[in-house]
Formats: sequence, structure tokens, C-alpha cells
Amino acid sequence: MSITTLSPSETQSQGRGDGRWSERQLVAIGLVALAVALALARPLLPEWTIVRVEEGLYAYADWLDAVFNFVRDDLGLIHLTRAIAGGLEYLLDATANLLYGKKRWPHLGPIPWTALAAAAGVIGYYLGGWRLATIGAGTFVWAALIGQWSIAMQTMSVIAVAAPTAFVMGLVLGIFAWKSRPFEAVLKPVLAILQTLPFFTYLLPAVIFFKVGPTAGAVATIVYALPPMILMTTLGLRKVPPEAVEAGKMSGCTRWQMLRHVYIPSARTEILVGVNQVFMLCLAMVVLTAFIGMPGLGGKLLAMMNSFKLGRSFEIGVTIVLFAVMLDRLSKAWVVKQPEHFERGTPWWQRHAYSLATFGGFAIFVLIAFLVRDLPNVPVKAVGDPEAEGSFFGYVGGVLDEVGRKQSLTQGKGIDKAIKGFLGIDSVQAVTEWLRWFLNVWILIPFRNALLWLPVPTVILAIGALGYLVGGARSALIGAGFFAFIASTGWWDRAIITLYTVISAVILATLTGLPLAIWASRSEKWANRILLFCDTAQTFPSFIYLIPAIMLFGVNDVAVVFSILIFTLVPLTRYTIEGLRSVPVELTEAADMAGATRRQKLWHVQLPLALPTMAVGFNQAIMFAFFMVIIAAFIGTQDLGQELQRTLAGTDLGKNFVLGMCVALMALVFDHIIMRWSTDRRKALGVD
Amino acid sequence: MTNSIKKLAIGAAVAALMAPNAMAADSSDPIVIPIHNWSSQIVMSHAVGQIFESMGNNVEFVTTDSQAVYESVRLGDVTLELEVWEGAFGASFRAALEKGGLHDAGDHDAVTREDWWYPMWTKDACPGLPSWEALNECADLFKTAETGDKGRYLDGPVDWLKHGKERVEALGMNFTVINAGSAAALWAEIGAAEADKRPVVVFNWTPNFAEAVWPGEFVEFPEWVEGCDKDPSVGPNPDALFDCGNPAKGYLKKAAWDGMVGKWPHAYEVLTKISFTNAQIAEMAKLVDVDELEPEEAAEVWLENNEDVWKSWVN
Amino acid sequence: MNSEAPVISARNIWKLFGADPEKYLASMTPGRGFDEIRADGYIAGVKDVSIKVSRGEMLVIMGLSGSGKSTLVRCFSRLHEITGGEILVDGQDIMKLNENDLIEMRRSKMGMVFQSFGLLPHRTVLENVAFPLEMRGQDRHARRERALEVIKLVGLEGREEYFPRELSGGQQQRVGIARSLAIEPDIWFLDEPFSALDPLIRREMQDEFLRLQDMLSKTIVFITHDFDEALRLADRIAIMKDGAVEQCDTPDKIVLDPQTPYVAKFTEEIEKARVVHASVLAKPLNGTTPEGEPVPAGATVLQLARQLVNESRTTLPVADKDGTVIGTMNRQEALDILLGEG
Repeated sequence: MSITTLSPSETQSQGRGDGRWSERQLVAIGLVALAVALALARPLLPEWTIVRVEEGLYAYADWLDAVFNFVRDDLGLIHLTRAIAGGLEYLLDATANLLYGKKRWPHLGPIPWTALAAAAGVIGYYLGGWRLATIGAGTFVWAALIGQWSIAMQTMSVIAVAAPTAFVMGLVLGIFAWKSRPFEAVLKPVLAILQTLPFFTYLLPAVIFFKVGPTAGAVATIVYALPPMILMTTLGLRKVPPEAVEAGKMSGCTRWQMLRHVYIPSARTEILVGVNQVFMLCLAMVVLTAFIGMPGLGGKLLAMMNSFKLGRSFEIGVTIVLFAVMLDRLSKAWVVKQPEHFERGTPWWQRHAYSLATFGGFAIFVLIAFLVRDLPNVPVKAVGDPEAEGSFFGYVGGVLDEVGRKQSLTQGKGIDKAIKGFLGIDSVQAVTEWLRWFLNVWILIPFRNALLWLPVPTVILAIGALGYLVGGARSALIGAGFFAFIASTGWWDRAIITLYTVISAVILATLTGLPLAIWASRSEKWANRILLFCDTAQTFPSFIYLIPAIMLFGVNDVAVVFSILIFTLVPLTRYTIEGLRSVPVELTEAADMAGATRRQKLWHVQLPLALPTMAVGFNQAIMFAFFMVIIAAFIGTQDLGQELQRTLAGTDLGKNFVLGMCVALMALVFDHIIMRWSTDRRKALGVD
Repeated sequence: MTNSIKKLAIGAAVAALMAPNAMAADSSDPIVIPIHNWSSQIVMSHAVGQIFESMGNNVEFVTTDSQAVYESVRLGDVTLELEVWEGAFGASFRAALEKGGLHDAGDHDAVTREDWWYPMWTKDACPGLPSWEALNECADLFKTAETGDKGRYLDGPVDWLKHGKERVEALGMNFTVINAGSAAALWAEIGAAEADKRPVVVFNWTPNFAEAVWPGEFVEFPEWVEGCDKDPSVGPNPDALFDCGNPAKGYLKKAAWDGMVGKWPHAYEVLTKISFTNAQIAEMAKLVDVDELEPEEAAEVWLENNEDVWKSWVN
Repeated sequence: MNSEAPVISARNIWKLFGADPEKYLASMTPGRGFDEIRADGYIAGVKDVSIKVSRGEMLVIMGLSGSGKSTLVRCFSRLHEITGGEILVDGQDIMKLNENDLIEMRRSKMGMVFQSFGLLPHRTVLENVAFPLEMRGQDRHARRERALEVIKLVGLEGREEYFPRELSGGQQQRVGIARSLAIEPDIWFLDEPFSALDPLIRREMQDEFLRLQDMLSKTIVFITHDFDEALRLADRIAIMKDGAVEQCDTPDKIVLDPQTPYVAKFTEEIEKARVVHASVLAKPLNGTTPEGEPVPAGATVLQLARQLVNESRTTLPVADKDGTVIGTMNRQEALDILLGEG
């Protein structure tokens, strides 16, 4: 492949190369012209085309409420869901007892933190040597020492139930989708919507159909974590090599044996990647369930933020990141971990050395804790108070059992001071003050007003034109149809404000993220550093960014856009770096040999080839932005997110769902158009 | 109808309480105490929970939404509620009261107030405060890039329904009302202003941890008159609603599930006697918010320091 | 090669890929060619094939990739459902078997080896080999014993606890062979078993395979795209093109007497002396008794080269293994083959 055939100007997927317009371009231009004409004719248009009033064309929310009520009360779904809730609650109580000693069956807990840390350490070592052992044990040690043990365990007790449930359900649904095409055809769009639905829309139905408290949180978490598990299972099963299948059949496997012994083990990698996703999404969601009052790390974080404790909030954020990193790294290591053989005649204890070590470490610390608990004169309550009576061993043992508040190493106040100090620096203030003024007065507010000024049909047509340009009639219909639906719900102005926030944030993120990524991709070292930073930034619970944003910019759109921007920068940077890195070496070498300067190489070789990958990052950035814009309601907005947040306190299921759909549909339009473009582009370039 | 019958039944039950000998023992089922997202309530709940435990009762805490909790109390999912704020939860409480299932278990000594508020350093810049007219004179001090010539007032989240906009219009004030998205946003705003002592005016309430962190005062609006929110003629502006301040001495109530009195008669009796003052509530909040204790520990500490207060309720 | 009923007997079998193959086949005018069928939107994987495999015979199916050989062999074991025709295995119409009977047949009668081995990556060598036994519910002890036995047979002793990824390609295919033999099948299908291996190993594996076949005498259907390999192993070769069998004959006959230009093209480059046996050149005695030392019937012309050149007789008697003379061979004819002029 020579470089010239790959240069962008000559391989425009729709262009003819001779300067004439393709049919698609002509249609798109026509649509845009119509849209502009409508905008110019704005004074002549009837009132309803300009801004939608609150009622909307159709009372979707009322219809939905009627349907929900019918399903819930008349069909008796509530009894079913409450029964499921009962079962879940039982499991949650059991893990809650084990992890933080809730007074429920089996009445064994709480397991001392040292025991869990030891077990996690050994498992980490087994999966990935000392590094993972440190991450595994270190996370638990950190949580205990920083004084967040019981809240961390509240969170983990929900994950311990939600993740396996999501795994099993995802696996089963994935198998069904793989077996039955019609089922898959139904499931796919549902999953697409589920993946773009704002999380507030998960929470309210969970609360209404399942009992308030951990059960509702667990249900929302499970549903949230399901889609990737289903998709990965189906993908994995489809990828099983045909010869393995035939070998299974020739070995006389029944259908069940095929599934159990051939398909599922052969799809192991994909299924485990699904498990990794389940863990990550569970952790992300379980933190967000704080919004419906779930206790745990998220709840504590919210409480800390509501009482303006930045340092403690930050520490909780770090704990969440550590747990995320631990679950992520361990499950990823599990994906690549291949079984190792033992020579024949290896004694059984050697074969099971790791299981034994895990169990042993665990048992020793449990034993210590139990002994200490029974030690005379050392009441557990007094442990941690050095002046309390009792032996030294009692004290040490007690700490190994449970770290009290007074021993914890929290630096909350120090961090508070540091943050406030930073914000107090005059130059920081001057910069943020200027940014606030400049962005608000010159960019954001005019942009928002302009978007709101546009008549509804203009926007719909413009979206249709974009869809037509990229994907033809079908994409145009999807784009225009979804936006027309949003217009008919009566939430048009709020949807437009949501859209404006998302677009502003993504554009700003692109302007800052791309140069950063291009610069970083020049050196391996910096690329890795930036990627690591991206990973960390992404695992921080999203709403932790809100407070710094407000403190820097005050309660206004700049803070909202800024908090979204931090989040959207991550995928943009990461995919740009990866796209640039994945350009084949021969091509850059060919460019060098052709005497290209650095800039020429970047513009003519690297960027065009990286573009499809960058588009995926851009798409993810938009998806993240739609996710984050909803959370930004926490700062104070006038968009769909704010309305959604309001529905959480009540029982407005219909409204909640309609609002959620508005967000999901907008996100899906962008997802569809960008991914379509990226796929076409990849094909045109002949990459993968 | 059913309501009044229930009330009669409670009356009978309360009457039965008065005769101590007739009192049955408390059930061993856990008393479910709700926890919300502000510190004083959490500590108070733990303190009361520990009092109940010291009497031999089982107690369990659940985290719930502070508005939805009245529905749960009504259904008996949750046994009681220790902080019913007049301004914030009065409406939800009254709605649940109408439906039946819970009842008023008496007031705390503490009074509550929620209104426009400013941290002390604001007064240095605008010495006429706390009068609202003086505030209006100083509107210039509060202007920002996006509010133009007008001053900026940061109101509570829209769904708290604090009617800041209406009041600005009714009183003809030179202010723009911006709604924060959450309590945290309010604190962040004050916290950011603290660094260079920038004047701010925001929505706030008492009792609240913020008093300990940032000393400040409420703006004095025309005094609250009953009907100010329903009848335009009430208050200084004859044509507008919301033309006066919020009540300066709102109640802080306890609420209990109707079934509590029958199931845990002793605990119920204590509940009716419990009454905290503003100072005590502030002390509880301080233990958590300033001294950084965990709520359970803060409750323990508070009970230790204030034995004379709560022992009188138990005996 | 005895004359009892064939083990596999296929009559006019068709395998079409496309939207509705049955309907298309029913309405298709007979005698339509591969390209015409493709123009109609269907691919003829197997096109009107009739073939018989006798007990103990090794049939090699030869053809280039896409010629339909893999499809054909998958029809024999009903890994593919055929579109038309009839396949009898041990006299039983396999298309009429229900799922359980089909599974039973595979569990008891058939073994198959795959080009890219088809090993289950999560199982050790031992567990892979024991897999078919496990599927048919044999108890742990018995299947372990049997698996160890076949592992020894294919020369993988000491590697029982290894995982497939820890083995070389040749070793992996030994595992595949062992697995296919574990249930002691009557019929053994091998789908290009040595194609993925490098030439040296391939040769070694062929030898190994011949050794096994000597010991086991299975009925074998062996697929290859390598003509040399076919000649080396086969009792009979079926050469396929575009889903149809061009010619099915013994190697000698294919080399000496190609029936179609396509087959002729294949045989052009072949050194015939390597392939043609004395037995094929032997003419009937017609009552005469030839004189002199006979040559063995199983020897190839190449093996007899020195004798043919040094010999003075015009005809040489040919004797089978027992020493019975079965005919006479014309020396000139054999020399022509040796010199490539046959």
C-alpha cells in the first residue's frame, strides 16, 4: 500500500475525486438549505415551531404512567418484583453480615479486614505476581486504615450480590440471544437504549418496583451492568472456532454438553472480559445509587460533599478508584491467566497451593480476631483507645480486627486546606474569573441562545441532513425521527439546553484533548503517563468533579461545561493516542523516506489513518458527556438532568422515563452517525 | 372517617400509656430509624437509637430520602422520624398526616429557619445588613459576569420550592436568582467566596453545620405573616405573593408511626419526651462536621457529655 | 478390501448453500453446472456425488481448496445436513436418525481429526483425549485408562498434563488423533490432518499414520490437497472439483489412465514410477507358466528399476505375497514408465 492511496483527499468515501458532488452530498445540501430557509423565515412560522410549551403534543408521561400502573397493580408485577426483592434482600443481608456485621443471618461477620486483605493479596499474587498482590491487599489495607472500612464494605456487600447476579443473567440472556435470532433482534435495540439511558432513569423504577434501600440499589446496579455481559457472551459464542464445535459434535456431545464443555469454555476470554465490564459498571453504578439513599462509599461521598468536606470526599474518591483498579486489574489478569500444568504425581497440596494459602491467610486473621474478641478486659469498643485497659496483644489484635476512627490515617482536613489554599491563589482566581467571564459572555450564552432561537424543524432537518450525508436515508430517518419525537414530548427547550451543554463540552474537550494527545503520542513514556492518568480520572466517581468545578467557576454553565469536559477529555485523549500509535510502522517509515516533515507526516499519514479510531473516542466522549450532563444537575442547570433529578424524589415514573428517553435518543443519534462514519471510513481505508 | 377512628384509637393507646402498670413490654423487633443526608439528623438518630438500645430495644438504621420517608413511616416500614422541619418537610408531613398512619410526636425546643443568608465578611462590604433594603442597595457588590448589572442570589435547588424569584419580583429587588443543583453547590459557592472574602448571598438554614464553619446572618425581610404565600394583600406589596421573609421560628417536630405505641410502648414514651435545643443540635453537627467523628461515635460522645439531658427522658 | 457391503455408501448426494436449497434442488433442471447454479444464487458444496467406501479401505479425497472435499466428508458424519440424495452408514440411512441416535452413532462408530486440531484449550492433553469418553458417560477411571493407552499409542507419553498451547503443532495433532481414536471408532475421518504442519513434521506424521493404520485397519476417509500425500496413503483416490468427483480410482490407475483433463493436469508432474505397482502392469497368464524369478506384486516400478535395466527377459512373472504368480509384466512397458515415457 502506498501512502498516496491513503491520503484523505483522494479516498473520500462519497466523493468522486473529480470535484463533483455525490448524490448524498446533494441531498444533504438540499436539506440544509431547507433548514436555513426555515430559520430565516422564523418570524413567519407559527408559534409552536419555535419553542415547545411544557405540555407537548402527546401526554406520553400519562400514557406511560397508565401502562406502568396497569402492569404493576393490575397484572400484579409488583408482587413478583417484591418477591424477587425479598430474595435479593436475603442475599444482601447475608453479604452485609459477613462484610460489615449487619445483624442478620448467618451471624458470622464482620470478617476482620486483615483476613480479607490477606485473601485478596494471595489471589492477586496468583493472578499477577507481587504487583497485583500489592494492589489486592493494598486496597483493603487502605480502606481500613483511612477509616472507611465499614462504608467500603457496605458498597462491596452490594457488589458481591449484584455482580454475580448480573453475570449469570447476562450469560443466560447472551446464550439465548446467540441461539435465537428473533430474540437477539428484540434484545439489541433494548440494550442500545439501556446503555444510553441516564442512570436516574434506572433508579426510579428500581425504587418503585423494588423496595427502597439496598435492594433497589442492587437491582439498578444489576440492570446497569447487564448489557455488556450479554453482548460479550454472544460475541464470544459466535467466535468459537468451527472445528472446536465439530470436534465436540463428533465426540458425541449432546446440546447441553456442547454448551457446557465446548462453547462456554472456548468463549472464556470474551466472557471474562464481560465479567470485567460487569465489575466496573457495578462499581460505577453502586456509587451513583447514593442518589436514592443507598449507604456505602457513594452515600458517604454525597454526604461529605453536602457538608463541604473536600478532603474526605477526595479520600473516598481514592478508595473508589482503588477498588475499581483492584477489580479491573484482577479480572483482567484472570482473562489472560492460562492454566498451568503440574507434572504427574504432584501432591495435592502443591496443586492447590494458592487456594490453601488464601484460605490459610484468611483463617489466621479470622482466628486472631475471634481470640481477641474473647480476650478478657478488652471490650471491642475500647480497642483503639490506647488508654483503655487491656494487654498490648489485645490492642494489636483489636486493630487487626477493626480499625477505629481514632487510629485512622485520614488527612481530610489537610487536603481541605490545600484545596482552599490553591483556590485562594490570586493568579488561579484571575484565570478562572477571566475564563468564567469570557466563556459565559462570549461563547456559551450566545451559543445557547442561538440554539434555542432556531425553529424546531430547522434543527430536525439539520440532523436529518447530517444523517443523510453519513449514512443515507436510514440514518437521516433515525436522526430526524428521534429528534421529532423529542420535540413532541414537550421537553424541547430542555433537550436543546442539554444538547448545547454536551456540544460545548465536547468541542472544548476536542480543542484541548487533541493537541495534548498528539503531543503525548510522540513519546512512549508520555503516552503511557497520559493513558494512566486517563484511566484514573475515569474511575473517579463522576460527581467528585462537580465541587472543584463550582469552586473554580461558581454555579453557572461554565462550571457545568467544565465538569463534563474533564470527563470527556479522557476517551478523546486515549483513543487519539491509541489511534496514532496503531498506525503501521511501515507507513510512517515510508513517509520518512519520502522526505515528509513531522507536520506533513502527521497530517497526511498519521491523522487520516488514526481518524476512524479517533471517531470512536469522539463518540465515547459524547456518550460520556450525555452521562455527565445529567449528573451536572447537581451544580444547577435548566436541562433534562435537572428535571430528571426532580423526579427522583417522587413517583413520577412516566415523566422520568420520557425524560430518560429524550436523553437516550439524542445520544443514540450521535452514536449511530459517528459509528456509521467510522465503520465506512475503516472499510475505505482497508483497516481491520 | 378512618382517620378520625385511628386518632381515637391512638388517643386510647396514649391513655393506656398513662397508666404505667398496664404497659406491656417492648417488642424485640428492631425499631427502624431513618437516616438522611445531613449530619445533625444522622447524629441525632444515632443518639436516640443508642438511648433505645440502652433500654434494651433493638434498633436498625436505614438510609432514606428525606421527603419520601413520611410515606415509609405511614406504612410502618420506618418507625419514626426525628427531624420534621416546618419549612422543608412540612408539606410532605402534612400530606402523610392526611392519609393517616403516622402522627405528630411532639416538638423539639429547637426552632428552624431558612432564608437568604450571608457569611459575616459580606457585612464588612455592605454594613447596612441584615436589612433587606440595605442588601438591595448593595446589589452591585453581588454582580457577576453572567448576571450583568444585577446582583446574584444563589437559591436552593428548584425542587425545594423556595420562591426566591417571586420574592425578588414582589419586592422589586435588583437581583437575579440562580438555582443551585444541590446543597453541596451552595457550600462550594460559599467556600470559593471565602478565599478572597467576596460578598455572597445564598440560601441557608439553621440548625446547620454551616453556622460553625462560616459565621453569618440571615437577611431580615419583611416579617412573615400567615397567608403571605396565599393572599396577595398580605405583606408590604398588595399585589404580590411571597413579599415577606420565611417564618423566623419554624417548628422542628418528631413524627411516629401509629403502630409504634402498641409495639414499643416504652420507647414511644421516651420519644414523646425527647426534645433537643438548637445548641444541642449544633453540638451534634459539630462533632461530625468539625471534629470529624463518625456519626455513631459522635452520638456516643454526645450522650456521654449530656447524660443529665437524656437520662431525664428515660426515667 | 473385501467384497462385503460397503461401510459408507453415498448415492447422488447434493449439498447446496443458499436461501432455500431444498426447493431449488427440487425445481432445478438436471445437469446444471457449478457456475450456472452459482448464477442462480446457490453454491454447490457437493454436487451429485455417489461413492462407496469399503470396510478397511483408505479412501483419500483430493482436491484444491473450495472443491467441496471438506463438505463431502462432513456430510458423511452429518455435520452437514445434505440437500438431496442418500447416505448409508453400515446400511443405515443417517438422514433418518433422530438426534439421540445420531449422537449415539458418533459416540460409538466415528472419529474425526481436524486440520487445525479443534482441541479444547481449557483441557489438558489427557482431558482432551478423554473428552469423547466423558461425553458418553464412561466413568472417570475407565476413561483415564483408555486415554492413557491412546496417548501412548500416538507417542505423547509424559505430556498428559500439558495444555494444548504448550505443545508444538505436530504434538497437538497427535492429541487430535488420539482423541479421535479414544472411542475405538470403525470409521475414521481425517480432514487435512497434516496440512497445518511444516513439511518435515508432515512426513513424519504420515509415517506414523501408516504405522497406526497397519495396526488398526480402520475404514478411513482422508482429505488432502496434497497429491503426493494422496498417492502415498491411498487405497483409492477421489479427485474433486467444483463439488463433483472427477475420478475415483486406485493411484496407479489415476496416474496411468486419467479420465478427465483436470485429473490429467494433476498427474502430469508426477513421477509415475513411484506410484505404479508391478501388480497393475501384470497381464493375465492365459494358461502359460512364466519362467524365472518373479518380481513382487507390491513393488513399484521405481523399486524394480535396477532389475528392469539389468534384466534380459522381455516379460517378468509377478507374484503376490504368498509367492503365487498372478501374471506377467512386459519389461519394455515398465521401462517406459521408469523413463517417463508411459
